[in-house]
Amino acid sequence: MRNPFSARQRARLRAFFGKPANIILVTFCIVLCVLTLYPLILLLLETITVHAGKEVRATKLAAGDFSLYSLEKIFATSKNAYSKLTFYEPLFNTLAVALTASLIAILFGGVVAWLITRTNLKYKKFISTVFVFPYIMPAWTLATFWQTFFKNVNVGAGTSNGIMASVFGIYMPEWFVYGYFPISLVLGLHYAPFAYILIGGILRNMDANLEEAATILKTPRWRVMLRITLPIVKPALLSTLLLVFASSMSAYSVPIFLGSPVRYYVLSTKMMSLINNYPGQGYIIAAVMIIFGVTILAVNQKITGSRKSYTTVTGKSSQISLVNLRRFNRPIAVCLTILMVLVAVVPLITFALESVIIKAGDYTLSNMTLDFWIGRNLNYLDQGDSTGILLSAKVLKALGFSLLLAITCSVVAGTSGVLVGYGIVKRRGSKLATAVSNLSFFPYLMPSLAFGAIYLAMSTRVPGLQGFAVLALIGSVKYLPFASRSGVNAMLQLSGEIEEAAVIVGVPWYKRMLRILFPIQKSSFLSGYLLPMVSCMRELSLFVLLVPTSNTLLTTMLMQYSEKGWAQFGNAINLLIIVVVLIVNFAVNKLTGASIDKGVGG
Amino acid sequence: MKKLISLLLALTMVFASCSLALGESVAELAKAAESMTHEELVEKAMAEEGTFTVYGNTSRIVTAAENFAALYNIPFAGSNLKDSEIYTKLETEISGGAKGADMVMIQDGASLQDIAIAGGYLINFVPASVKANIAEGDQNPLIHQFINKVFIWNNLGDNVPAITNVWQLTEPQFKGNIVFKAPDAEQVNMNFLVMLTNEEWSGKLAEAYKNLYGKDIDLGDYENAGYKWIAEFLSNCVFGNSDTTLAEEVSQETAQGKIGLFVLSKLRSSSVYTENLTVGQYQATASGTAIEPFSGFMYPMYAMLSANASRPYTAMLFIEYLMGTDGFKPWGKSIGAYSSNSEIVPLEGDLSLDVWKQTLVMEDPEYILENYEDVYSFVNMFLQ
Repeated sequence: MRNPFSARQRARLRAFFGKPANIILVTFCIVLCVLTLYPLILLLLETITVHAGKEVRATKLAAGDFSLYSLEKIFATSKNAYSKLTFYEPLFNTLAVALTASLIAILFGGVVAWLITRTNLKYKKFISTVFVFPYIMPAWTLATFWQTFFKNVNVGAGTSNGIMASVFGIYMPEWFVYGYFPISLVLGLHYAPFAYILIGGILRNMDANLEEAATILKTPRWRVMLRITLPIVKPALLSTLLLVFASSMSAYSVPIFLGSPVRYYVLSTKMMSLINNYPGQGYIIAAVMIIFGVTILAVNQKITGSRKSYTTVTGKSSQISLVNLRRFNRPIAVCLTILMVLVAVVPLITFALESVIIKAGDYTLSNMTLDFWIGRNLNYLDQGDSTGILLSAKVLKALGFSLLLAITCSVVAGTSGVLVGYGIVKRRGSKLATAVSNLSFFPYLMPSLAFGAIYLAMSTRVPGLQGFAVLALIGSVKYLPFASRSGVNAMLQLSGEIEEAAVIVGVPWYKRMLRILFPIQKSSFLSGYLLPMVSCMRELSLFVLLVPTSNTLLTTMLMQYSEKGWAQFGNAINLLIIVVVLIVNFAVNKLTGASIDKGVGG
Repeated sequence: MKKLISLLLALTMVFASCSLALGESVAELAKAAESMTHEELVEKAMAEEGTFTVYGNTSRIVTAAENFAALYNIPFAGSNLKDSEIYTKLETEISGGAKGADMVMIQDGASLQDIAIAGGYLINFVPASVKANIAEGDQNPLIHQFINKVFIWNNLGDNVPAITNVWQLTEPQFKGNIVFKAPDAEQVNMNFLVMLTNEEWSGKLAEAYKNLYGKDIDLGDYENAGYKWIAEFLSNCVFGNSDTTLAEEVSQETAQGKIGLFVLSKLRSSSVYTENLTVGQYQATASGTAIEPFSGFMYPMYAMLSANASRPYTAMLFIEYLMGTDGFKPWGKSIGAYSSNSEIVPLEGDLSLDVWKQTLVMEDPEYILENYEDVYSFVNMFLQ
C-alpha cells in the first residue's frame, strides 16, 4: 500500500506527534468523544425512538421505530394540561430553584470567603474547616435533616412532629418545610462551599496593591469594596453562579426529599417518574437539561476565557491588611460558628440519634438500642438485615467495594486530569486544546441519571463492560471535570521555563512530569484526585442503574433502605458514608496537603 | 478490508444466533421440564455451575433465595431492585447478550405482559409438583402470591375515620388526611386507579355513590364515576414515597383522624405502632358490614425464568421451592401475603384470599395497557 501522505505532510505529522502535549490532546480528544459525545448521540436518538411497553401501545408502532410522539406529547399536549404539568411547570420550578440556590451560595459563600481572607475574624480555623463539610457530605444529608427537624402535623403528610415541633413546640408553615424555599436553601448551603472556594481563592491570591493604593488615598472601605474588590472577583462570581446553577439544576435527591411530599416537581424528579413508563419523554427532559448545561458552559467560557491565568504562584504581593471587624467581630464569629454547627454537625448527631431508636418520634432511653449498629439475630425487626451494620458482612462488603471504586475512579480521573491539564496549558489557545478542554468539562453537565442510563445501554454493546468496569468507567468520566480543572489550574501556575530547562538538558517527558512538574504542584494535583474520590463515595444516581445488585455500593444500599422505610439502618449507613468520606478527606489532607478547596479553587 | 468486513459480519451473526439460541433454549428447557419430578430438577440443577442470580422487588425474595442457596449449597447473588429497574436491566442485558438474572420476581402484570413476555425476556414455568394446587388462571404467567393494599386508619381520638363507603374519602373533612404512595412512584398504585375507570368498577362506584347520598351521581365533565372518584380522592390525598413510612406515620399518636391506603403487610414492621391502627376490612368483616364498593386493591407477584438464565434448572428448582411451604416462609410469617398455592393458608387472624378477592380491586393487565395513557395524564393533574 502506498503511503497517502507526502513527505512534507509526514514530516509535519512527525513534528506534531513529537510533542507529548499533542499526543495527550489527540488521545483524549478521541477517547472523550467516544465516552461523552457518543452517549449524547445515543440519548438524542432515544428521544425519538418508540420504547417497548406503554409507548408502543400509544403510538401503535413497533418498538425501535422512530416517532415524534414523545416530543409532541411533552411539548405540545394541552389535554389534561399535560405539557404544562409535565414540562413547563417543572422547568419553571427548576429555574427558580437553581437561580435562588446559586444566589444563596454566592452570597453566603462569598461573604464567608471575604470574612476569612480579608478580616481579622475570630475562630477562622474552625469556620473554614467546617465550612466545606456540607459540600463533602451527600446533598441529601441536609435535606433529610431539614425534614426530620421541621416536619410537623400541619404540613405534608402531617402525621408526626419533628424535633422543632415536639421539643420546642414551634410549628413551621408548609412553605418553610417543603417545596421551593427549603430546596433552594439546602442546595444553596450545599454549594456555598463551592462559592467560598472559588471566590476565596481569588481574594487570597489577588494583588493587594490596588486596595492598598486606594486606602492610602483615603478611599472609604465601602468604596474600595465596590470599585476594586468586587470587580476583581466578578468573573469568579459569575463563574460560581453558572456552575452552581448547573449543579442545582440536575440535583435529584434534595427535591425528592423536600419536594415530593407537596408534589413540587423539578425537571430531574419529573424525569425519574417518567422514565419508567415513557422513557422517550424522560430522555427529552434529560436532553433539555443538557442543552441548558451546554449554554451555561458556553457563557462561562466567554466570561472567564480571557482571564484564565489570573493567579500565579508568585503573584502574591505584600501582606494584605486585614479589615478590623472591631466590636462586630465576636458576634459575627459566634453567629457563623453556630450556623456551621447547625449545618454541619447537628445533622450528624440527628442521624446518630435516629439510628438507635426503635419507634420513630420516641426519644426516651427505653426506646433506644445499639442493635442497628452492633446487634445480631435481628430478624424479628424485619428491617432488611439481620445484623447491625458494623458486623454485617453485606455492609462491610459494600463499604469495601465503594472504597475500591472511589479509589479507582480517583486514580483514573486524577491522572487524566493531570495529563489533560498539561496538554491544555502547553497548547493553550489552539483549537485542539479548546476542544479537549470543553470535552473534559462536558460530563459535568450531563444529568447523572441520564448518563447512567446511556452507559447501561452502552455496556450491553461492549463485551466486558459490566459490573465494576462500567462503574469505574462512568465514575472516572463523570468526575474528570473536577480533576482536569485542578490539573489546568495547577499547570497554569507553573512557569514554562521550569520544564524548558529540563528539555534543554534532554530529560525525557515522563521524567519531567514525575520528577519536576508533579512534585512542585503536588498538593494541587493531588486535590484533583481527592475530589473525584469524595464525590464517588457519595454518588447515587450515577450508579443506580449500573450496579449488579443494590447491595453493591453503600449509597445504593442506603437508597434501597430509605425506600423500604428501614430508617434506622438507613441512618446508620448514611452516617457511615459521611464518616468515611470525612476520614478519607482529612487523611489525604494531613498526609499530602491536598484539600478539596485547592481542587476546585484557583 | 472486504475480508475484515465479512469476518465482522460473520462474527455478528454468530453472536446474534447465539443469543437467539439462548432464549429459545431456556423456553424449550422450561417446556420440557414441566413434567419433571422434584428429584429430576434437583439432579439437573446440581449439574449446573456458576452463581445463581435473582432479581426481585422485595427484600423477602432475597431472604428466600438465601435460604434456598444454603439448602442446596449454591453460590448466590440477589438483587432487590425497583420494578422499572428490573425491566431496564432485563431489556438491556438480554438484548445485549450479557449475563444477568436466572430468576425474576416481579409485580405490575401490565408491564410484565407488554415488555417482558412480549419481548421474550421472561419465560413461564409451572413446576409439576405444585401445578394441581394452583388455579388455572394463576398459572400463565405464574403467580407466586398476591399482595394487598387496603384502607387502614388511626383508631385514636374521637374523629376516627372509620369509613364504610369510599365516597366519604372525597368529602372536605378528609382533605389532607389521606396518605397514599404517589401513583407515579409505584406502578401498581397507578394500575389500581386505571382499573377504577373500567365498566365494572365505575359502575360499582356510581352505585356506591347512590347508596351513600341517596341520589344519582352527577358526573359533570367526568367520563364516568371512576374518573370522578379518582379526581376527588387524589385531591384529598397527601402523597408519600414508601409504604413503610406511611404505615409508621399513620400509626403515630399524633396522626389522629388519618387514614392510609398502603400494603397490609407493612404492619409487620417493628417501627409501626400496630395497636393504633385499624384495618378497614377486618372491622367490616367482624361487624358484618362492608366498605363500599372496595376496601383496597390487590395485585399479583409473578415468579418467572429469565430468558438468559445461565442456571435455568436451578431457577426452575427455585420456583418450585418458592411455591412450596418452605419457600413461602419469609412471607408466611406475617399478614398481607397470600400464596397462589391453595395448600398454603393465610396466617391466622388474616382473611382468606377468596374473601379479599371479592372486596378488593384486582388487576386486568389488558385493560390497564389499553387505557393507561388516558388515566396517567388524567391522574397527573392531581399530583401537583
